[in-house]
Amino acid sequence: MLYEVLLRTRCTYDRMAAGRQALRVMPADEAGIQRLVAGAIDIDPAPHERIDRIDFFGNRTVDVCFNTPNETVDVTVRARVDRFGYPPAMDVSARLEDLPVELAAMRNLGSTSPHHFVDTSPLVGPSPAIAEYVRDVMPKAATTMEIVGAINAALHRDLRYDGDATTVDTPLEEAFAKRRGVCQDFTHIMIACLREIGIPAGYVSGFLRTEPPKGKPRLEGADAMHAWVQAWCGANAGWIEFDPTNAMMAGLDHIVAARGRDYFDVAPVRGVLRTAGSQDISQSVDVIPLA
Amino acid sequence: MASVNDKKVPKWNAASEYRPMPGVPDELMSENGAIRPVWSQFLSYFSSLAPADLAGRFARGDEYLRDAGVYFRQYDQKNAIDRSWPLSHVPVILHESEWADIASALTQRADLLEHVAADIYGPNNLVAEGKLPASIIAGNPEWLRPMVGVRPASGHFLHFLAFDLGRGPNGQWWVLEDRVQAPSGAGFALENRVATARVFSDYYSEAHVHRLAGFFRRFRESLNLMRGGDENGIAILSPGPMTDTYYEHAYIARYLGMGLLEGEDLSVENDRVMVRSVSGNRPISVLWRRLDSTFADPLEFDGASRLGTPGLAGAVRHGNISMVNALGAGALEAKALFAFLPRISEAVMGQPLGMPNVATWWCGSEMERRHVAANSERMVICPAVPPLRLAGRPARPEFGMGEAGRELILTPENGRHFVGQEAVTLSTTPSWEDGRLLPRPLSLRVYLARTADGWVAMPGGFARIGHSRDPKAIAMQQGGAVADVWVVSDRKVSTETMLAPPAGPYVRPRQGALPSRAADNLFWLGRYVERAESTMRLMRAYFARLAEAGELESPLLSYVREHIDARDIEANEAIPTSLRAMFSSAIGSAAKIRDRFSVDGWMALNDLADSANRMTLTATVGDDSARAMSVLLRKITGFSGLVHENMYRFVGWRFLTLGRSLERALAITSLLTSMTDDEAPDGALDFAVEVGDSTLSHRRRYTVRTTRPTVIDLMALDSMNPRSILYQLNEIKTQVDLLPDAGVPGHMSELARAALRTQTNIAVQTPEAFDIEALNQTYDEIAALSELITKAYLK
Repeated sequence: MLYEVLLRTRCTYDRMAAGRQALRVMPADEAGIQRLVAGAIDIDPAPHERIDRIDFFGNRTVDVCFNTPNETVDVTVRARVDRFGYPPAMDVSARLEDLPVELAAMRNLGSTSPHHFVDTSPLVGPSPAIAEYVRDVMPKAATTMEIVGAINAALHRDLRYDGDATTVDTPLEEAFAKRRGVCQDFTHIMIACLREIGIPAGYVSGFLRTEPPKGKPRLEGADAMHAWVQAWCGANAGWIEFDPTNAMMAGLDHIVAARGRDYFDVAPVRGVLRTAGSQDISQSVDVIPLA
Repeated sequence: MASVNDKKVPKWNAASEYRPMPGVPDELMSENGAIRPVWSQFLSYFSSLAPADLAGRFARGDEYLRDAGVYFRQYDQKNAIDRSWPLSHVPVILHESEWADIASALTQRADLLEHVAADIYGPNNLVAEGKLPASIIAGNPEWLRPMVGVRPASGHFLHFLAFDLGRGPNGQWWVLEDRVQAPSGAGFALENRVATARVFSDYYSEAHVHRLAGFFRRFRESLNLMRGGDENGIAILSPGPMTDTYYEHAYIARYLGMGLLEGEDLSVENDRVMVRSVSGNRPISVLWRRLDSTFADPLEFDGASRLGTPGLAGAVRHGNISMVNALGAGALEAKALFAFLPRISEAVMGQPLGMPNVATWWCGSEMERRHVAANSERMVICPAVPPLRLAGRPARPEFGMGEAGRELILTPENGRHFVGQEAVTLSTTPSWEDGRLLPRPLSLRVYLARTADGWVAMPGGFARIGHSRDPKAIAMQQGGAVADVWVVSDRKVSTETMLAPPAGPYVRPRQGALPSRAADNLFWLGRYVERAESTMRLMRAYFARLAEAGELESPLLSYVREHIDARDIEANEAIPTSLRAMFSSAIGSAAKIRDRFSVDGWMALNDLADSANRMTLTATVGDDSARAMSVLLRKITGFSGLVHENMYRFVGWRFLTLGRSLERALAITSLLTSMTDDEAPDGALDFAVEVGDSTLSHRRRYTVRTTRPTVIDLMALDSMNPRSILYQLNEIKTQVDLLPDAGVPGHMSELARAALRTQTNIAVQTPEAFDIEALNQTYDEIAALSELITKAYLK
């Protein structure tokens, strides 16, 4: 499916701010999943320094530096993306009890190695409440993929999508206690659930198709950048992506921007700014199918 | 060796009651109670000293450490307390042949660690070949993903290492810890040495003890080489005064003549690291990092860190800065590595470890986990990798761990988070306690530095000594002590010093740029000290008049009290709280620039604050407090004398002087504004002249009593009187003109213009025309100068 992606991000500061930022906003180019046909990032005002690079997890990263303070910074992304990765049709995932052995046999530390996604990461650590919850909702005697699917469905059932309940800095424990949040909270909670029972899990940021195909409901999270979960389901099945906000597996409507352990690794705008005031980020996203 | 060869038969034998613990090797005595040869000369010397003499000698060593300001910071539940340095005065003595074995085994280990670092930040062959489990790298929070694939600019990851060693029951040394992140304590080793050499001053110089200075000289030379061709700076990067080893950072910086920087002193421009200095941003090429990697760049590592520099990791990626050690080197401190290093050594170096490390089993493998469980009574269970620490938050636990006890630890799910290590018994060494030598557990810290000719080991200097028989109580935080280590030779040793013999023609070194933060602290140090001085002069004059007046309240007293109140000084306190706060602020500023500040100056400042605090307990308002002010004034004059007689006239001194002159000009202006007002009561003019320390000058210059014109003439407009406004403005103008980049050539800077304008306005005044309004305007103009200095240099 070929898409035109348009992302407009505006950072507004109460007090003028200067400093460094790392942007991870460009749709990814991933063999077998999606192809970036063309894309450009426009930054206004123009930064004093700009370096385009690929980070550890393979994400397109733009480092920018503003020497003089600004009231607003606009980042506009225009991209044409072909998304062709389908969810797996067959369940070839490992049984959960075999996962540790399959994991130990993975002798590599490349960017897609499941070993990066097992332990505590900057924003996702263990929580007793989540440990109890996941043991309640996971089916016994099932494949890893079935278990991940069941947790995905359970979270969608038990959490309410609520844009006012949390902010970008709300710890996942707090969002879980409220049982409310947005895609970032859903994703972090699900990652914590999966790691708790030994399933390597990571954070995927990206975009959703804005208007659904005829006869289908509009997906939650299509107005801004979206987030979902990747779970490692064994050596044969590899990584499988689930979207707990929409109770589905990620498919042709999900366009990948960046992957990492949690939001820390993939935040669209990550900055260290010299300002005493707060900042506000507004986004608009249009993802229009071309064919 | 006079004292030994005098052949005076010792009256007592210091070791006659010394008994090592059964089954524990001792440094001084062999199993059969014989003194080991390497100790015998020292022991007979030691026995020749009367016990009373020893106490005096130990006190001399402690006094040196106190005067040098050596302390360490101890933490209880809530507070950090600075304690005196716990020197165990009896050195640990090792023969150079044993030391050579230690150094060669650790050189091999250093090379091995370098190999592992290059591998885990490079091709990851060790993981691919199954020599290291992936999870102890991926699960190690010190393994920094942004640094993967980055070759260090210097060509090496590791440049400065420390190892903690213990001697096991069979007499062999074992590695207890690898210190790779940012090894501390080398500066303390130097201080241990100076203090211990002072205690045994009549013996040390002839005792064939290998000197430490050559090690530091060679390390500094190798840091110089790391700059490559460029002339840019080298500095120590410190977390700042809140860290427990800050004293040592400042000490090493002074000793090696290197700058001491904090993260906020640095900025990154186009992937070059720059020092924000009063001369603008200057590039820097080598950082000796004493700051943990994860705090070094909030953009890529710990986002909550306030200690780091955004963009630093990017600069490293671009090869524009050399780090000692590389960012991410802390990953090598993982205990789990101990379990694999012996095999890695065989595989990649083709030889076994020259010195074993503590036997360690990683509980992520089933066989090892069972072994640990079966032998758990002689095992210590530790975390396999360092915990994930994020600024301002407690260390995060791991998944599956909950409130795990030991039995839960050794499950298949959790085992990988832990290692079992064989419990260590340490050898003992003599320590002087309660008038006798007692055997106390010992661990050595050995430092290695990479030089152009390979690794060199610092010959001795640092051992930790337990305070009881319990080998676990060796940490300083738990009351342990520290001792010098003497590596002795059978022959004379070379007494090289820190200063290298000149090689080639003399080249005048370039002066390093003064970081803006250091300039800011010097400026405020000058201001606080002067503010304290003028406060004391004011209060002394007030207290003296109060004492003369007795119970009587005079118009002058209440007028002066209003002036004092308006300055937020507590007139009803013998040693005003606000005055003591000024001392604390001065010390606070000085503490941030210890590397640029003489030890004598530091001691003088602390002495001043201590005296004021002591006086607070007893002094009463009146004659008593007037005399207290005189005592403190004499002490502060001592401090100012040190600064102005001894301090090198580098640009930092100019900021100190500017702070002092500004503050003094402001104090005189505000004094004159009050005391020369038409409304001021009788005696106010004399009061002003006294506070301005100008009574004698007034009497000599004007044979009349004080009038407003004479007082203004002397205290505002007299360019020869150091306590006049004009004198201080002349000084300010002189210093401003000498500051770096004071203006575009041919054009004055905003600050230089303002300084000239303010100075000229006063210089052309006449006493009659210099009224209260003019004084008020002058005050505002001087205050504006302070703002301009801050804006131009100190931000």
